[in-house]
Parts: sequence; structure tokens; C-alpha cells
Amino acid sequence: MSRRYDSRTTIFSPEGRLYQVEYAMEAIGNAGTAIGILSKDGVVLVGEKKVTSKLLQTSTSTEKMYKIDDHVSCAVAGIMSDANILINTARVQAQRYTYAYQEPMPVEQLVQSLCDTKQGYTQFGGLRPFGVSFLFGGWDKNYGFQLYMSDPSGNYGGWKAAAIGANNQAAQSMLKQDYKDDITREEAVQLALKVLSKTMDSTSLTSDKLELAEVFLSSGKVKYQVCSPESLSKLLASIGLTQPAAEAT
Amino acid sequence: IFEYNGSALVAMVGKNCFAIASDRRLGVQLQTIATDFQRIYKIHEKIFIGLSGLATDAQTLYQRLVFRHKLYQLREERNMKPETFASLVSAILYEKRFGPYFCQPVIAGLGDDNKPFICTMDSIGAKELAKDFVVAGTASESLYGACEAMFKPDMEAEELFETISQALLSSVDRDCLSGWGGHVYVVTPTEVTERILKGRMD
Repeated sequence: MSRRYDSRTTIFSPEGRLYQVEYAMEAIGNAGTAIGILSKDGVVLVGEKKVTSKLLQTSTSTEKMYKIDDHVSCAVAGIMSDANILINTARVQAQRYTYAYQEPMPVEQLVQSLCDTKQGYTQFGGLRPFGVSFLFGGWDKNYGFQLYMSDPSGNYGGWKAAAIGANNQAAQSMLKQDYKDDITREEAVQLALKVLSKTMDSTSLTSDKLELAEVFLSSGKVKYQVCSPESLSKLLASIGLTQPAAEAT
Repeated sequence: IFEYNGSALVAMVGKNCFAIASDRRLGVQLQTIATDFQRIYKIHEKIFIGLSGLATDAQTLYQRLVFRHKLYQLREERNMKPETFASLVSAILYEKRFGPYFCQPVIAGLGDDNKPFICTMDSIGAKELAKDFVVAGTASESLYGACEAMFKPDMEAEELFETISQALLSSVDRDCLSGWGGHVYVVTPTEVTERILKGRMD
């Protein structure tokens, strides 16, 4: 519409919209989907990997899942370079809190402080907003397991199940239908994988197109575990989601 | 100021293992106020740091090191090597060159191929690498003597534990500001054993 209003982030349009922020959300709509589900005993984060070339050196680094601190991790959708900056900022903020108060930063406070940073880029400086949405999953002793979704405008909310990235509307409505309040972590993993398989463009799911991470308590300590490709393949097979090309019956 | 709280720290190298030991007294000059004070901290499975000297500086320095180490771990997705960690401690201490932390760290770790690494430094970060043992604290002079006499190269974990415990206990007996037992960690590539020693409780 009005071309005059969308080149500056710090200006409202006549209809009261911030075009730059909305364009940023468009950019995320082209990125790989990520789904988060909160269960009684943990948070499950699943992401669709967009870059699956064999030439890519994967080693141990992940594309969509990142650890922010021992008790909080996040899934990313959007422009990866923007995401790296924000993840670094989040890590430093979490450590600063721990240094000052000698205890892990509460998840909501971490999300809030990161979102305050994001909001700053929509109001001052003349810089464009970050083109990333996050799904934060973590545990703290005040509220237990929590899942938060944040977007380029700096808005965030606590969710029981959420989806970001491509086809997130479809994923979100599917989650709304199938989510139960007392879902266990295993059921959450299955649900997440099922929803992801339905919203992904490709016909079959293989473990190299996905990343699965879980945040749960193990002997009193919070553990963040990224599923290895082998166990992910087994999981997919057990839910009946893989159709490997050359499978002899 | 280094003699305000009292401390004794020693680390020794063995065969593919190391041991680090400290006393447990926390005092305010001549009054003992705690007999379970922890001076040795774990940075990760294979690096331990003991901080002697002023207790408040030791605690703050440790917190700063945890901050830096955690960020390193998150960014590099691996643990720090002991040599790197020692350089980090040295750099942090030198930052405060004209208003230093009143601490003397003793760093002990297993590096690549589980090769034991120990070092100590003064309060402004001058590293002192050693192949056999390092000492720090108010009892350091007695500790130098005791270690020199008792140390043998390439000791196994059990024998290393005995040696370091004897060296520590006998040295703190000659120092009124350290004592009230000992805290010994023996670290091998496979396990970490933590033991409390009962000495002359004074």
C-alpha cells in the first residue's frame, strides 16, 4: 500500500501498522517450521531442516536447536544470522543473571529481556528488526516447564503448544485439535513429529531433515538432549512415519 | 591481606591422574568461623581450581570464571582445555592489575590424552607451570618442604592420595591459620574421588 511508510521501521502506517515488522514476519514464513509442545514432564522442540545437502558438514552443530543455558534452550525460525546474534545475547544475559544472583535465570525473565532487545529495534536506531521467531523451552523452580514463543516485534507469549515458520497456521490448528493438557513427553514427541510430517512439503520424513530436542528433568537436574540421527530414525519408524525409498519388506 | 582468612592448597601430578587438596578452615584472623569451607571448585569434569587467599575474592573470582567458562562451552560446544583455562584465569587477574583480587589460584586438570596439567599463579596472574606439584596459601612454605620430601613421579591414584594427604596434614599442623581437616579430590580419566580428611581439629 503506501510505499512511503514501509521503509522506516520507526514510523507507523496510517492504519497503525509497522510494515517492517510485518515484512520480517513474512521472511520467517519462508523458513523451516519449528514446533514446540509443553508436556507434564518436559518440553519437546522439533524443527525442519531446510539445508540438507550432503556437502554440508554437520558434525555436532545444530541448525535449529540451540542451548541458551543449562535449563533453557530454543528453536529458531527465520534468518539464521539474525538468530545467531540474538542467541548470543540471550546466553550472555542468562550468565549475567547467574553471576549476579547465583541461580539460574527464570525462563520468562530471559524471554522478556531478549524481547526487550528485539523491541528496541522497532522503535529506535533506524535499524531493521530481527527476522527471527523463537520457541523457548525451559524449566525453572518457580513455574516448572514452560514454552514461550516470540516474534520480530518483540511480543511474546507462553504457550502449551506452538508452531513457527512455514505453514505455522496449519500446524497450530492441528496442534489445537490434538493437544491434551496432561500429555506426556513421549506422546508430545509423537504428536510433534506427526504434525510436522503433515505440514512439511516433502512426502517422507527422514532423520536428516529433522532436529528433535527435549528439555526434561533427570535425577533432579535439567537436561537438554538433542536426539541423534539414529534414534530419530528409530522413532520415526516406530510411529510409522518413514517411507524409506528402497525398503525390502 | 592474604593472611586474613587462612588457607592451604596443594596439587600434585601422578600417572595419568592428578590430586588437588585444600584445608577446610575459614577464619577471621585468629577466630575460626567455619570448618567446612570449600576452596576447591569444579569447572568441568576434568578441571578443578582451588582459590587461596581472601575468601570473598575467591568466591567472586570463581563466579566470574563460571560465567566465562559457561559462555565458552555454549559457543564452542566443547570443554575448555586446562592450559586455556589457566590463560583465562591469568588474564582475568591481570585485568585488575592495580586493584587486584587477593587470591592465589591453583589449577589442576587433565588435558588432551588425559595428560595431567597443574599450575599456580600469583594474585596478578603470573603463571607458574610445574611438572610435579604446586602449592599456595598461608601454609605454602611448609607445603613446599613437605611436598619436596614426599613427592615421587608417576604415582598411581591411591598412592598419590596418601602422599598429598600426608603433605597437607603435616603442613597445616605448622600453620595456625589453616587446618580443621582436609578436602582431597583425586581425578583420573574415568572418575573423580572426593575425600574428607580428619586431622588435628585446630
